[in-house]
Amino acid sequence: MLSLVTYLRERPGARVGDVARAFGITEDELISDLDVLPLCGTSFRGGDLLDIDTDGDRIWWHNPDDVAEPLRIAADEATALLVAARAVSTLPGLREGDRQALLRATAKVEAASGEAAGASSRLSVTFESEGGVFADVDRAISERRRLWIRYYSPARDELSEREIDPIRLVTVGHTYVEAWCRRSEARRTFRLDRVAEIRILDEPSAPPEIELRDLSEGLVQPAAEDPEVVVEVGPGGRWVAEYYPHDSADELPDGGLRITLRTPDPASLRRLALRLGGDGRIVSPAALADSARLAAREALAAYDGPDGLGEVRDRPYEGREQGL
Amino acid sequence: MAIAKAERLMNLALCLLGTRRPLSKRELRESIEAYMEAGSDDSFNRMFERDKDDLRELGLVIETVENLDGEVGYLARRDSNRLPPITLDAEEAAALGLAAKVWQQARLAGAASGALQKLRAAGLPEDVDPYGSHGALEPHIPVHEAAFEPLMLACRDRRPVVFDYRKANAAQPGTRHVEPWALECWRGHWYLAGFDRDRGAERVFRLSRITGKVRARAGRYTAEVPDVVTVRETVAGWAGEIADRSALIRLRSGAGYPLRAKAVSVRELGDGWDELEIPYGHGLDALLVEFGPDVVVVEPAELRAEVIDRLRAVAKG
Repeated sequence: MLSLVTYLRERPGARVGDVARAFGITEDELISDLDVLPLCGTSFRGGDLLDIDTDGDRIWWHNPDDVAEPLRIAADEATALLVAARAVSTLPGLREGDRQALLRATAKVEAASGEAAGASSRLSVTFESEGGVFADVDRAISERRRLWIRYYSPARDELSEREIDPIRLVTVGHTYVEAWCRRSEARRTFRLDRVAEIRILDEPSAPPEIELRDLSEGLVQPAAEDPEVVVEVGPGGRWVAEYYPHDSADELPDGGLRITLRTPDPASLRRLALRLGGDGRIVSPAALADSARLAAREALAAYDGPDGLGEVRDRPYEGREQGL
Repeated sequence: MAIAKAERLMNLALCLLGTRRPLSKRELRESIEAYMEAGSDDSFNRMFERDKDDLRELGLVIETVENLDGEVGYLARRDSNRLPPITLDAEEAAALGLAAKVWQQARLAGAASGALQKLRAAGLPEDVDPYGSHGALEPHIPVHEAAFEPLMLACRDRRPVVFDYRKANAAQPGTRHVEPWALECWRGHWYLAGFDRDRGAERVFRLSRITGKVRARAGRYTAEVPDVVTVRETVAGWAGEIADRSALIRLRSGAGYPLRAKAVSVRELGDGWDELEIPYGHGLDALLVEFGPDVVVVEPAELRAEVIDRLRAVAKG
């Protein structure tokens, strides 16, 4: 609210709508704040009460004395803004002009924050994204052009070609492009580090009007009707719960977890079953567990052949830390 | 914040900023209606101390001065609370506007927009749509870990902490006593670097593996905080991204694009198979078995054995 006071001091006759937008509050919230302000100030020197008027459209402040100078930035505020600004400035796909503007702004905010900027070095964020692919997607979005991509699907371990109309780029850990896929005529999200090849086409991009999803809950949001998969993991397989969005993860007595998740395509989890090795097993569906067992047997057969390693010692499986 | 509290804080701030001499608690109590209405001395004292802390948390520098009679007075000097002059052009303002929106954690999102509001109050241009000049870029910093906020505060205030931590392959969590140095987000996950008092050495912790509450402990740090804290290198090592050897594998034609993407060399064998040389770091065995019968390890023997062990475990299952 103090910032509101200093803001109003700088802008006599400010419009209610503009002020509300600048502070990210509704006009009603602003008016109720304004109802409080005239009661603020102290009676002990007399005449200190803030004299603020509004006709519902514009706001006037009749005695903006030097009480209302802009306040310095607090340590937490400096940390939040500086860490975010530094992170964004490392985005490989950021336009050079924007990056320069952000670096200039960051330096100015650092200087203006003084000591409060110190603690911001204790937090840092690195965004990952594939520079070249990013730049092409960004350009296609701003020029409203269609893209051709060769895209890797880990579920099927294959590359496929498709044309997409890009809508926006989203960075949550990895960077993704949300697009209208012309092959499936549906909204799809593509991870940039899985784009093997990309070309900007001459055709204009024409995605249908679609409502943007709120991605704050994560990019992968399984549908209620997706089939259920149950996986039991030992202590060495607990990472599964960190990487796969799941409905439930119940503790098992041995320090493991029983994880229930949903996916439109259970066969895509064969890779997970193979990766888990002795650290876990698919409980259901049975077909998925069978296909993993079959794949493992088939793979082992290659090592028994004439140039295989028949003499490999049969040693007990040792669990080891999974990679990240 | 409740209106009554906001009004009280606002009044206290204006009093402290408006005065040229330190005001005693008694004077403040007599000038602010809400304090006058506070029933007992005790409840006034509690309310005042809390308000003072809240204002400091908001960034107000409040000085405590003792006068000749030994009475304590408070004031917030204009020159130490004034935002130094800062001029940002429309481009710089738009870039900061974008940056301020990346936090998905309530406290930091609030703090970033608080900073922006102060800058706006000081004349930051604001009629620019922050997304206007940035096309469709929407970076977000995910913070899903409950341990994040207490650890952030502990790093800021340099406070030792205690938490239960479950190592990747441990059945039970163990209690760790840590002097937190820095937090870093890499590939969407948060990590803490600090001095582990039990191990007597620097350690990196993954926040999602902290179980239960993070509790702050009194006392100072016993180990010196290094000037540069490297979290990412440690984590990249876990992730197998630091490879000092290479491995030779056979890969079915058309399969295993991720392996091809990082291959040092690819040679067509002509019988539906290719031979690839790839970097061999921690975790490669687990990655290779994902491709099932489409991958055969040629060498080294150690990697072959690891992959075979993993495949046998699945085949038995």
